[in-house]
Amino acid sequence: MADFLQLLIAGIATGAIYALAAIGFTLLWQTSQTINFAQGEFVMLPAFFALAAMKWGGAPFWLACLVAVAMSLLILGVAFKGLIVDPLIKHGAMPLVISTIGLSIFLKDGVKDAYSAEAQPFPAIFPDRLIEILGVKVSLAQIGVLIIAFGVIFVLQWFLGGTRIGRQMQATAQNPTVARILGVPVERMILYTFLINAALAAMASLLISPIYLAKFSSGETLGMAAFVAAIVGGFNQVRGAIAGGIIVGVLDNMAAVYVSTAYRQAVPLVLLVLIILFRPQGLLGRKEERAV
Amino acid sequence: MTANANTHQSGDALLLLKDVVSGYGKMTILNGTTAAIRRGAITTVIGPNGAGKSTMFKTIFGLLPVRTGTITMDGKEITNSSPRQMLDMGAVFIPQGRNIFAELTVKHNLELGGVALSDQSGLGDRIEDMFTRFPILREKANAQAGTLSGGQQKLLEVARGLLLNPKLMLVDEPSIGLSPLMVQEVFSILIDLAKKGVTILLIEQNAKQALQMSDYGLVLEQGQARIEDTAKNILNDARVAQLFLGGGMAPAAAAAPAH
Ligand SMILES: Nc1ncnc2c1ncn2[C@@H]1O[C@H](COP(=O)(O)OP(=O)(O)OP(=O)(O)O)[C@@H](O)[C@H]1O
Ligand SMILES: [Mg+2]
Repeated sequence: MADFLQLLIAGIATGAIYALAAIGFTLLWQTSQTINFAQGEFVMLPAFFALAAMKWGGAPFWLACLVAVAMSLLILGVAFKGLIVDPLIKHGAMPLVISTIGLSIFLKDGVKDAYSAEAQPFPAIFPDRLIEILGVKVSLAQIGVLIIAFGVIFVLQWFLGGTRIGRQMQATAQNPTVARILGVPVERMILYTFLINAALAAMASLLISPIYLAKFSSGETLGMAAFVAAIVGGFNQVRGAIAGGIIVGVLDNMAAVYVSTAYRQAVPLVLLVLIILFRPQGLLGRKEERAV
Repeated sequence: MTANANTHQSGDALLLLKDVVSGYGKMTILNGTTAAIRRGAITTVIGPNGAGKSTMFKTIFGLLPVRTGTITMDGKEITNSSPRQMLDMGAVFIPQGRNIFAELTVKHNLELGGVALSDQSGLGDRIEDMFTRFPILREKANAQAGTLSGGQQKLLEVARGLLLNPKLMLVDEPSIGLSPLMVQEVFSILIDLAKKGVTILLIEQNAKQALQMSDYGLVLEQGQARIEDTAKNILNDARVAQLFLGGGMAPAAAAAPAH
C-alpha cells in the first residue's frame, strides 16, 4: 500500500509536468488553431539552454534557469509565432502541421549536433532526499515538483479567469471575430498565448529533466504524453489538460512498475485509442462549440 | 440609383457609403454600394439572401477591406478603419447569430463590451447601469452566458453594445430564433434608442415587421442599393412587396425560410 501511494505521488508529479505541456498545447490550439507537433521538443529544449548557459557561459544553476526561460520566451514564443505560425496559418492547417513536424526534427538534430547525443544529467531544483510522511516515503524532489507545477497551474488559472487580460484571452480563444468587434487587441492576446506556452514548456523542462535526464530525443515521449493528455482532457479545455496530464502520468508510472518499463511508452497510445473509441470529446470535453 | 433623391439630403446623414466595392477573396459582393444613413433614425436594410447585407455591415465595421469607394461617418472618412477605430468613432456592431462568449459569465461578457472604453474607471458604473436597465442580466450576472436562453443572449449582446454609449449601432438580424415576444422586446429597445438620438442600421429577414417600426428602408440587391426611401414608401412599394415582403410570389417564398 505504501509502495502504491509512493508510486501514485510520483505519478502525479510527472503528470503535473505533462499537464504543463498539455495546457500550453491546448491554449495554442484554442487561440490560434496551431497543433504544435514540436511541443515535446519545446519541453526538451529549455533544459539545454540551461546546460549551455552553465557549460559555455559559466552561469550558476539559478541564472541558467532564468536564461532558459528567457530564451524559451524569445525562441519558442516570439520567433515561433513570427517566423513559422504567422506566415503559414493563412494557408490553412496542413502546411503548419507539416512545419511543426519539420521543426521538431530540426530541434532534435540541432541539439544532438550542437550539444550532445548523450543523455545529460540535469541538476535538481530540490534535493533528492526521502522523507517519511505518515509511513509513506516520498522524495523531496517530487514534493517540490508538485508544488511548483500546481503553483504554476494555479497562477495561470487565476490569470485567465481572474484578470481582465486573461478574460480577453479567453474571449479571443472562444470567438476571435467577436473579440475583435469589441475592440480586444486580438493579435496581442495571441502573442501572450505563445509566450505562456513557451514559459510552460520551460517550466516543464526544468522540472522533468532532473527526473528523466536531458536528452535530444526525449521530446518524442514528452510530446506524445502532452498530446494524449490534451486529447484525454477534451482538447479545448485547460482543466481537461490538467486532468489528462495527471492521468497519463499516473498510468505510465504504474505501468512501468506493475507491467514493464518496456510498455511505459505505450501507455499514452493505448489511452489515446481508448479515448477515441469511447469518448471522442475527451473526459471533460464537450462537443466542439466553436462557430467557424 | 437612389430612387428618391429629393427626400434624401445627405446633410443629416451620419453614415455615407459611396460606390463601395468589397468581397471575399476574389469574389466581389458589394458592387458599388451607395447609401446615406440618417442620424437618429432606424434604417432597415432588406434584400434577398446573399444580396450582401451582412457583407455591407462587415465592410463598414472594418472586418472586410474596402477595395474602392469611400465610407464617411460624421463627416470624417473612415474607409478601411479597424473595428477598434470604429468603436472609437462611436459605432458598435452586433453581428448575425450567437456572439456571446458562452463560457464566460454574463458580467464578464458585459465587461468585454467596455474594452474600447477610453476611461476604464467608468466601466463599473456602466455595467451597473446595464444591470438596472436589464434586470434579468443582473439576476444571471454570475451564470455562464451559454446558459441563457436565446433571447436573453441577444439582450446581453445588445447591452454589451450599449455599454459604449454608441451613436451608431449596426444590428444584423437580431430577431432570428427569438420568440415573438422577445422580438418585440428587442425591437422596442431599438426604437427607444433611436428616440434618444442613436442611429440604428438594421438588417431583418422579417422585413415587414422591421419596416413598420423603421424610419427608413434600404433595398439591397446584388451588392447595390436599389431603393433608398422612407420605410413607409418601401412598405407600399409594389415591387418590394412582391419580392421581399411575403406577397405570396414565388421568389419571396423561396427566399423566406433560410437565412
Ligand atoms: N466568409 C465568407 N466567405 C466567402 N463568401 C461569403 C462569406 N460570407 C458570405 N459570403 C458570400 O457572400 C454573399 C453575400 O453574403 P451576405 O452574408 O452578405 O448575404 P446577406 O445579404 O446577409 O444574406 P442573408 O440574408 O442570407 O444573411 C453570399 O453569396 C455568400 O455566400
Ligand atoms: Mg446576412
